Amino acid sequence: MTTPAAQTAPQPTESEGAQRRPSTLLSDVSIIIGGQGGDGTLTVVDLLGRYFRKRGLYVYTSRNVLSRIRGGHADASVRACRAPRASIKSKAELLLAFDQESIEIAKPELDADALVLFDSSVFKADFPNVLGFPFATLAGGQVGQPIYKNTAAYGAISVLMGFDEALTRQVIEERFKRRGAEALQKNLKALEIGRKAALENAAAIDRWSIADGEAHDLILMTGNQAAALGFVVGGGRFFAGYPITPATEIMEYLMRYFPSFHGVVRQGEDELASINMVIGAAYAGARAITSTSGPGLSLMTEGIGHAATAELGIVVVDCQRVGPSTGEPTRHEQSDLAHLAHLGHGEYPKFILSPGSVEDCFYLAADALNLAEKWRLPVILLLDQALSQNAATGPALDLDRVTVARPRHLTPEQLAHLETFKYYELTASGLSPFVPPGTPGVTSQVTGNEHDEWGHVSVNPVNRAKMMQKRMGKLVQARDDLPGPRYFGPADARVGLIGFGSTSGPILEALDWLEQEGIPAKYYQARTLFPVPEATLAPFLDSVDTAFVVEHNFTGQFARLIREEMPAYHAKLRSILKYDGFSFRAPELVEPVREAVHGTKR
Amino acid sequence: MVQSVKPTASTWCPGCGDFGVLAAAKKALVELKIPPHEAVLVGGIGCSGGIHNFLEINGLHALHGRLLAQAVAVKLANPKLTVIAAGGDGDGYAIGMGHFMHAFKKNVSILYLVMNNETYGLTKGQASPTSRVGYEGNVEQPFDAILTALSIPSGAYLARTFSGDPKTMTAVLSEAIQFNRDHRGYAFVEDLSPCVTYNDTFKEWREKVVNVEKLPGYDPTDRSAVFRLCLETMRDGKIPIGVMHRPPRVDGADANPLELKLLPDHVGPAEADIGIEANRVAYQKLLQSVA
Repeated sequence: MTTPAAQTAPQPTESEGAQRRPSTLLSDVSIIIGGQGGDGTLTVVDLLGRYFRKRGLYVYTSRNVLSRIRGGHADASVRACRAPRASIKSKAELLLAFDQESIEIAKPELDADALVLFDSSVFKADFPNVLGFPFATLAGGQVGQPIYKNTAAYGAISVLMGFDEALTRQVIEERFKRRGAEALQKNLKALEIGRKAALENAAAIDRWSIADGEAHDLILMTGNQAAALGFVVGGGRFFAGYPITPATEIMEYLMRYFPSFHGVVRQGEDELASINMVIGAAYAGARAITSTSGPGLSLMTEGIGHAATAELGIVVVDCQRVGPSTGEPTRHEQSDLAHLAHLGHGEYPKFILSPGSVEDCFYLAADALNLAEKWRLPVILLLDQALSQNAATGPALDLDRVTVARPRHLTPEQLAHLETFKYYELTASGLSPFVPPGTPGVTSQVTGNEHDEWGHVSVNPVNRAKMMQKRMGKLVQARDDLPGPRYFGPADARVGLIGFGSTSGPILEALDWLEQEGIPAKYYQARTLFPVPEATLAPFLDSVDTAFVVEHNFTGQFARLIREEMPAYHAKLRSILKYDGFSFRAPELVEPVREAVHGTKR
Repeated sequence: MVQSVKPTASTWCPGCGDFGVLAAAKKALVELKIPPHEAVLVGGIGCSGGIHNFLEINGLHALHGRLLAQAVAVKLANPKLTVIAAGGDGDGYAIGMGHFMHAFKKNVSILYLVMNNETYGLTKGQASPTSRVGYEGNVEQPFDAILTALSIPSGAYLARTFSGDPKTMTAVLSEAIQFNRDHRGYAFVEDLSPCVTYNDTFKEWREKVVNVEKLPGYDPTDRSAVFRLCLETMRDGKIPIGVMHRPPRVDGADANPLELKLLPDHVGPAEADIGIEANRVAYQKLLQSVA
């Protein structure tokens, strides 16, 4: 059941809220930056994220923007933590507000005695605990452009939080060096303006200090960027897509990466063109990808079924957002799973893979390409808005963990020894041999109509049954090939959580909270969602009394899929659902588990 | 030598206009000495789209209306292939209209061959985008693909042929395919190909076709002149056929079709070595750049 935002959330043991005093040491801090689109809130988040990383902390950033270019409320947050968190902190210590609207919107997210740092040249903040500096006026007067107010505010925050001065400056230098000497000088000037203003106010100096972390050599990126990199090293060489939030960055990154590797990126005239270009490229022998979100996925559905029947391996990234229809383009949801599992008319096999972290996007993107090509079917790489666009720290991407295998591609020698080459040859493994068009001495016929082994259109009933069994059999025969789950928490815990995608972040945080409350809980992070991974889910479900399936949709889509495939576990499954467009905060997961375990009121 | 797929016998009605196209396409491929394994025919959905089964060639049978998107990508993935997209007027001008327009914009060196019979033959004779007013209750204006193509600024080769004149058609298809093989860009050919079962226009069209190449003022490099000749021919109740645009050879980057712009070294995505070892240094550099 859905839980309201956690007003009664338990605090972690290292909570500092109760006895805050000057120079409180924080090991987990959250800062929200709010303003109008174009105020540069994302730049401040980026600067803070860079600083915290240099201090060895884990960083997680999220953004809340409207679907327009400029204007409208936009906020973003950055969390820095000694513990590896990939979730939004339930309450923030500091809000940097460029307008009053930001305060009203952020209020429910703020700690009881949070501080609002505001731009006093624009408005007078209405909040119990405020500190104002005229950032825009100062920047306008001394740098020449009020827009530098965001860097000035970063300077003030650096004083408030006791940042190391040299490191604070180094972040600016690294961020702006590519913009040219003038931009760098102006930003350095803005930094000094903000620092000076704060240093002149005793209430601002070293209000907090941030504990150093031990997590060095981490990289900070979004799931979309990690997936794009995974596609490059996984041998992806063709991409066609249509711009759609929150998937577009994958296309933009690949436009940068692919040309160095004989790769081609095309922006199609629509999603119909895009999916069919991907099909054409896969037919030609390229590893081909598209990325989209709900509305585009609906348009691509016919093509995905075509690829499955024609037995052409393609990869489709679905960056889920609030649906149906145009829904909320910039907001978070995980509501495409049921559609994907039963995708399209007719029956055909497909795999749905779900990375649970930014770095997992990289590895599963590469895996998806191997699986699609080997099994010659559509592989869906299922992301969600939070995973796609929120930046998180993670270990450096390891090329040695990526393999590129083409087991069904015939070598010229293998081909020379064949008597016949049949594109849809019936084999015990369900896998047919492959050579691309252009291979001397071989021609092929490929079709989305039902066909015989040669690729000739056929309505022969015996053939139809065999071909259905060939295609659908892949769902069984590929099981050992599919990415396995990840397990977290004590093995002997009797409370289980099941989730996928970006919910892994808040679930892992909730496990820690529950442990501190004396409720041991463990987590099954599903990385293959379809076919439903019965072989690993069954022992997990056997080992717990209750399993909470955590997902961002109204109907409990993954829980329903599990029930459909594994009805014996019906009674053990409970759902924790959220469908308001925002990611789970840890208390929203802790509360229903606690209630279920202690039997307290609902 | 390995035995691979062989062409099947045609499923078309006896006397179908598409037989003329099949014969001309076979001849053109032989004349140009294109080995079967180097050519891909992307077929649409409809009677005409089955043509890939009847030729000794690689065949990719696309979704209804999507053959151009698939064909464009085949060429971009491997620019060494000769790629022909072939389908009907319903496939190309109704459900596939978006791709029809954008194909000129993309300018990839493939041939798009539309067999226009002014009806939906496979579903038994409904009005198509090119049907005349009155056919099966049609009250919409017929779509004219050649006038549309002439009005789009592009370097495409354009022609209209008639199945009743296979000799001219063979010459046009040969020229169009060679145009593609020289990487000069997109070629679009509409063939008037009567449906003898639901819209038998052979006799009528034979009387009405006028080859614009024989008209005074014809200049295949001047699209406005050809456009005018087409309009004048149609005003007289006739049907203009012939080479409608034969772009002059232009040197320089602007003249390059998409595959050469995207793949300056002529190695397509399908031909790239994607092994980790072959790319290790570049991959490491890329991954380090994002750290």
